[in-house]
Amino acid sequence: MEFDLKTIEALAPDQASLSAASKLTRQSNWPRLEKNEELALIWGECQGSGSNPYRVVVDTGDHGYKCTCPSRKFPCKHTLALMWIATTAPASFTAAGSTPEWVNDWLGRRRKTTSQPAAPAPGAAGKSIGEASRDDESAVVEDAAAIERREAAQRKRAEDTRSSVSAALDELDQWISDQLRLGLAGFVDNSSDRCRRIAARLVDMKATALAGRIDEIPSRLMGLRSEERPDAAIRELGKLVLLAKAWRSTPDDAELKRLVSTSESREQVIANPDAIQVESLWEVLGEKIETRRDGLVSHSTWLLDLNSAAPQFALLLDYFPASAGRRSNAFTPGDRFDARLVFYPARQPLRALVVERKGDVSSREWPDFGFDKADPLAAHVAHQDTAPWLTDCPVMLPPGAILLDDRGEAWWQSTDNPHGIALPIADTVNPTLLGLDLAATAALWSGSRLHLLAAQSGFGRLDLS
Amino acid sequence: MNEIEQTGLATMRDCWITGGTSFELAPAAWKDIAAGANPDERERRLLAIAAQALEIALRPAAPKTLKRRPPLPELALPMLPERLRPLLRAALKHAADARSKSRVVALVASRGFVLHPMDWMPAASDQTSPDVYAPWIDWQAGVDGEKHTSREQLTAQNWDEFYPAARRTALADMRRTAPALARQLIETKGASEPAEVRLALIALMHFALGPDDVPFLKSLSADRSGKVRELAGRLLARLGQHGKPGDGGPEDPISELAAFITEGKSGFIRRRTTYAPTKLKSPAQERRRAELFETCNLVDLADRFGVSESDFIGAWQFGADNNVDILVARMVAASGSDAAVTHMADTLVAEGGKPALFVLHLMPRLDSRRQRVLIRLILKDTQYLGALSLAEGVEAGWLDWADLTNGKTLPALRTAVAGNDDAVKRGVDQLLETLGFLATAEAAEKLIGDVVAAGMAPAAPSLALLRLNACLTRP
Repeated sequence: MEFDLKTIEALAPDQASLSAASKLTRQSNWPRLEKNEELALIWGECQGSGSNPYRVVVDTGDHGYKCTCPSRKFPCKHTLALMWIATTAPASFTAAGSTPEWVNDWLGRRRKTTSQPAAPAPGAAGKSIGEASRDDESAVVEDAAAIERREAAQRKRAEDTRSSVSAALDELDQWISDQLRLGLAGFVDNSSDRCRRIAARLVDMKATALAGRIDEIPSRLMGLRSEERPDAAIRELGKLVLLAKAWRSTPDDAELKRLVSTSESREQVIANPDAIQVESLWEVLGEKIETRRDGLVSHSTWLLDLNSAAPQFALLLDYFPASAGRRSNAFTPGDRFDARLVFYPARQPLRALVVERKGDVSSREWPDFGFDKADPLAAHVAHQDTAPWLTDCPVMLPPGAILLDDRGEAWWQSTDNPHGIALPIADTVNPTLLGLDLAATAALWSGSRLHLLAAQSGFGRLDLS
Repeated sequence: MNEIEQTGLATMRDCWITGGTSFELAPAAWKDIAAGANPDERERRLLAIAAQALEIALRPAAPKTLKRRPPLPELALPMLPERLRPLLRAALKHAADARSKSRVVALVASRGFVLHPMDWMPAASDQTSPDVYAPWIDWQAGVDGEKHTSREQLTAQNWDEFYPAARRTALADMRRTAPALARQLIETKGASEPAEVRLALIALMHFALGPDDVPFLKSLSADRSGKVRELAGRLLARLGQHGKPGDGGPEDPISELAAFITEGKSGFIRRRTTYAPTKLKSPAQERRRAELFETCNLVDLADRFGVSESDFIGAWQFGADNNVDILVARMVAASGSDAAVTHMADTLVAEGGKPALFVLHLMPRLDSRRQRVLIRLILKDTQYLGALSLAEGVEAGWLDWADLTNGKTLPALRTAVAGNDDAVKRGVDQLLETLGFLATAEAAEKLIGDVVAAGMAPAAPSLALLRLNACLTRP
């Protein structure tokens, strides 16, 4: 591999990037490291702060690179770390005969230029690999007193946050009462302004996650027909009341804290003994990418456990700034892979992180799940029983089909019970879907609409997200 | 949720919509839960209960008017294997227009597979997809009814039991094997069909067109559709039948067209007649000449000059005006006899160079042997490689690696790939797409290796169809 530490120093935009990269050179950060010497390529997946790993590829010939992280520093710390590992521990890379599709995509898009010596970036003077490495070492020898001081400060911050969030929930309660007193008709009409105002207050008072959720209420209401909106407003506000009450009774509960203020870090989730770890074969069912009002893009990837007798789902949730542009997806619907996932502790564990991803697996039919034909939303009811603040619930629907009503809107209906419930579908469906029998359908039920993810049919697997 | 709770919930809901307190309206059991708190808290508790009741206890009722489409029919060929679907989707994504997409579909069908319906569906008006897709075309166009595609032989009795695309496919098959029977069916049942359908049915007569068809085609000169009359005239012209004799005056289209053609002589010893386009003075005249070439028949024009179709083609001075050469080629393709078409193709191919390209307009009338000869010729010369994309009605997946190594194509491709000229690279992309359709799987694989070695990115989108082709082996 045509790297030496001097090259990496020259490429790095600043000393901070090198220092950050040095911390990422641990093997544990890289569930996947591969190379193709023929094409002079190395690539890997680096577990960043999000649930999806960042994908990094470097051309060792001309030092071209690409990383899916949203950093505006080029090359980013992940790229530098990958190069660093290639220099110091080349044996870490597994030789791969073929390149993955995302590497191919990059190769297809890039325009090769002749290799030029890297020009020093502004403020790049005085960068040193040696200094970056020392940063790491100095962190290790922190004295006990400093640790005590840091932990005390953390405890103080946690206490401050708790009292601030408590006050925020008081304001929220009052705000909900005001909406009822003023009338939900007005709330529905002005939900955008009203929600924005209380969300801003909640952010100030450190109830950040709750603020994000309230910010999304207007778009959830507007996605429905006008006659459905008052009921939806009751559901949204009622769930907020329940969530606030639950938090007050157990403010240290990890799930509630996550829904109200801030989420745990990846390391905290992995280290948490209550976090369930599941090693299984997973299929990527589909994705939901939404730009939120706070400027973040939320990228949800839904997985299905193929080794479970009953449908078990996992949600990989990632946020990144909308200004960073569209990110290449870490997973493609239909992908199947062996992996160990750790679930964020919750009453109905759904959100998860990939701890270790093993090899990809070829596709096959979904297992034959035993469906509750009497109530296709039985899983939703079970979720609501234990966590009534949840909004979107993944469900696996029994054999059914998609039909159209008089207005041309699509509904899912069970084959076995055509006179039972029918579930309205949120988005426009591909007309071909209307001619297919669906043996099983994975979807998200929002309480009023079904968001289709994937299905099994006589024509094989269908991507519907 | 019982009836009392449902009624209570409805009144509370109405109260909250307009604004106010709903405690007094709540069902007794709910009141018990909410009681003992201040008025605001009471309302919030009731709101939480109502929210859960709406979430869990109330379920959407199926509208009585839900309509189900008939099941999508299964096709006669197996579905493309799942592992190849990403490659297929990449090829479809890269195919810019419907024509390019239909070439992807044709290549897949030539290897014995059909596409997944969620990856591609023919349009209801599609008439160019491989025959195997007829049931889907009919499904797309299908009104909800009791009709089913019959696998029986098409007859006048079961005519209405066939959906249009299935009927067209059955009729085309019958026309190839029993042309007289098919003609009788078209004659009997076609008359009652609308003009558009009638036109499509009569177009099928080009399969196994023969002298026996003349009386029926002549009878169509009284058809109420102008397009049908014109098509019948062209089919008759292919059989050497003259159109309606003109009066020879300046208003007669054949005479008008002949006036745009200069008759001359060449050769010192053996003087022979030549025909060349007259130099025109205005674009309006050029437009008129183009119109006339599109509506007149070869047999009538040749007759106007008192020669046979083959003699006229032999005497035409190709190369004098490319645009007019193309018009002549199109006229021959539309209305020339089989012999005239082959004669023209062989003459131009023998001549080589640019004139050979005009044969591309004759492609749909040529047999596959001649089509292959022409394409190999173009590939060998490489001067007009771009013209390959014009070829219509060519078979997929037959071009061998030897055909590519035989001429200058590969060196030209390698040079273009290694160069930096964006316009040339766009041409390369187009050619690779065409070769992706024409090549055998083996040739496709070798071609990818070759251009990648020359510097093309292995994942370049222009290699999409070649990649699919290379992996696409028969079931």
